[in-house]
Amino acid sequence: MSFIEIQNVTKTYKNDSIETTVLSDVHLLLEAGEFAVLMGPSGSGKSTLLTVLAAMNRPSRGRVLIDGIDVYGLSEEKRADFRREYLGFVFQQHHLMPYLTALENVMLPLVTSRISSREKKRLARVALGKVGLATKADRLPSELSGGEQGRVAVARALVNEPPLLVADEPTGSLDSRTGDEVIQLLRDLNLRGQTVFLVTHNERHAHLGSKLVHLHDGRVTAVINRAILGIPDSMQQVLQENAI
Amino acid sequence: MRITSIAIANLHRRKGKSLFLVCGIAVAVGTIVALMSLNGSLRQELGDQLDRFGANIVIVPNSDNLSLDYGGVNVSEVAFDIQRLTMRDVEAVGSIPYRQRLSVIAPKLITNVEIEGRRAFLAGVDIKKELRLKRWWRVNGEVPSAPNELLVGRSAAESLGLVESAATPPTASDPDPHAHHRRAASASITRDRVMIAGVQHKVTGLLELTGGPEDRMIFADLKHVQQVTSLGDRIDVIEVSALCKDCPIDDIVGQIQSAVPNAKVSAIQQAVRAREQTVESVARFALAVGGIVLIIGILMIFTTMMGSVSDRTREIGVFRAVGFRRQHILQQFAIEVLLVSFVGACLGWSWGIAATHFALPYFSEAPVMWSGARQAFAPALLLSVTIGFVGSLYPAIRASRLDPSEAIRAI
Repeated sequence: MSFIEIQNVTKTYKNDSIETTVLSDVHLLLEAGEFAVLMGPSGSGKSTLLTVLAAMNRPSRGRVLIDGIDVYGLSEEKRADFRREYLGFVFQQHHLMPYLTALENVMLPLVTSRISSREKKRLARVALGKVGLATKADRLPSELSGGEQGRVAVARALVNEPPLLVADEPTGSLDSRTGDEVIQLLRDLNLRGQTVFLVTHNERHAHLGSKLVHLHDGRVTAVINRAILGIPDSMQQVLQENAI
Repeated sequence: MRITSIAIANLHRRKGKSLFLVCGIAVAVGTIVALMSLNGSLRQELGDQLDRFGANIVIVPNSDNLSLDYGGVNVSEVAFDIQRLTMRDVEAVGSIPYRQRLSVIAPKLITNVEIEGRRAFLAGVDIKKELRLKRWWRVNGEVPSAPNELLVGRSAAESLGLVESAATPPTASDPDPHAHHRRAASASITRDRVMIAGVQHKVTGLLELTGGPEDRMIFADLKHVQQVTSLGDRIDVIEVSALCKDCPIDDIVGQIQSAVPNAKVSAIQQAVRAREQTVESVARFALAVGGIVLIIGILMIFTTMMGSVSDRTREIGVFRAVGFRRQHILQQFAIEVLLVSFVGACLGWSWGIAATHFALPYFSEAPVMWSGARQAFAPALLLSVTIGFVGSLYPAIRASRLDPSEAIRAI
């Protein structure tokens, strides 16, 4: 059994009497520790697939199993618990709470956990340390650069040590160099055993994945392993420079 | 970090909206507190005034023969009464279970006497109690302090020739046309000795005109009158002033009736009913205005919170994505509303009390701050929280039910 099994997922939206199929019979298997990259043109259903995978968007048909758990067989509230325990989410715009410090933003997934405040702070500091921002814990997002905000978003996604990290174009709002830094961070985490599912338009970043999934018109058109892909020279240099 | 910290941080971040909500709640609560305090103050003042009006219970002997009207109550004709009141009945009235509510018990003996060939009403009373009961009485001269001293009603004094007659017309040469009226009001005693039942009495004070039966009466000490008229311990009427703010007047009457079964006990219901009607009118007005303000307050909170949910869709989406349950979102909104409501209640209560303090003189001749105003804080807090919760209930539920994927799509 694979760590993630997306079994024949179809997602249809109904708007008035018009029915739009966004995902069509998607079947995908990912193993634990993989760095999967999802690519495809705009409107191909990437974000929908990501939210379906992230237990936030019930498919019209099909099942999603993560670590053997039928995600949509869970109740709404249990699914919220599942997200907290199994998933880390990195958004395109980072979406840090502007009124919370970096440390408090990282602590967000722990807020509803039944652990002490001291432990929550310790875990958040560890997560911030992993992304190299231990010294900027008390700063508000507005006092951080775009790259640093991206790092805080990654720290928030991994603070509860989720088995799966999903990232929806996390470099979309960053300049090239800062974007590379964030991707390098994800790769580094993956090298330490973290399963990562990344949605990106960036070809260079896509080459870092161990599995490249192409989506077109809601259908998986190709699944390519990294062994075939290799890493481009331009990205090799970035990886060496930003190695943590 | 807890949900409370997020709620506080969020309120701090949205200072303008938070302040707007606090002000909205404060205005609603303050208006209602002010109306309730005004109502309470007016109710208190009306009660005090009515208690000062005098007797509100009159006790007379049971009789079919009624010949004397006193204070709007018929007093039994002396000669034909079968049932009599005595001083023992006065004591019985003072021993009822509700005796703490009885501020004055004023027994009287009223009889006809002949003074220098003229008939007059002589009333034996406890002068001090009488003056407490009839606060509108104005005594010209001295209040009697010895048994043979008299307080004489103005008409009786004129009839007996104890004062210069007020009927003396103004003269054409009088330079001040109002002097006649002033003389009538402040006439002085021209003769202060009268014989009653063979005993000489001294007139020490004149009762200024009241327009009531007392104008035609002569007042002396009760025991002294009982002695000189040889009527023993007979009492003709007992007037009772009950401290009657919200008192069970019917119960008091019932208890007195049980204590003095041979008497007819009448409550002067008219004054009580009039007071109740006035107070109820004010209360109804306060309730109506309060209700409108309450609805406006709730609508204001509702609109603001709906806007807030709309503004915070992304934020709620992130919360849901990182594992917040619906109840956690509800909890966050509830904490925010609770904090805003608490501050709103404090401000509202303060300004409500202050507004009452400043507004009361415009509504009342003798403004007395409602004694329950300070205790109104707890209801004000409850009201504030109610406004906050009712107004934000639907927006909070809507926020908690926000589909995370929809919120993410908004992102």
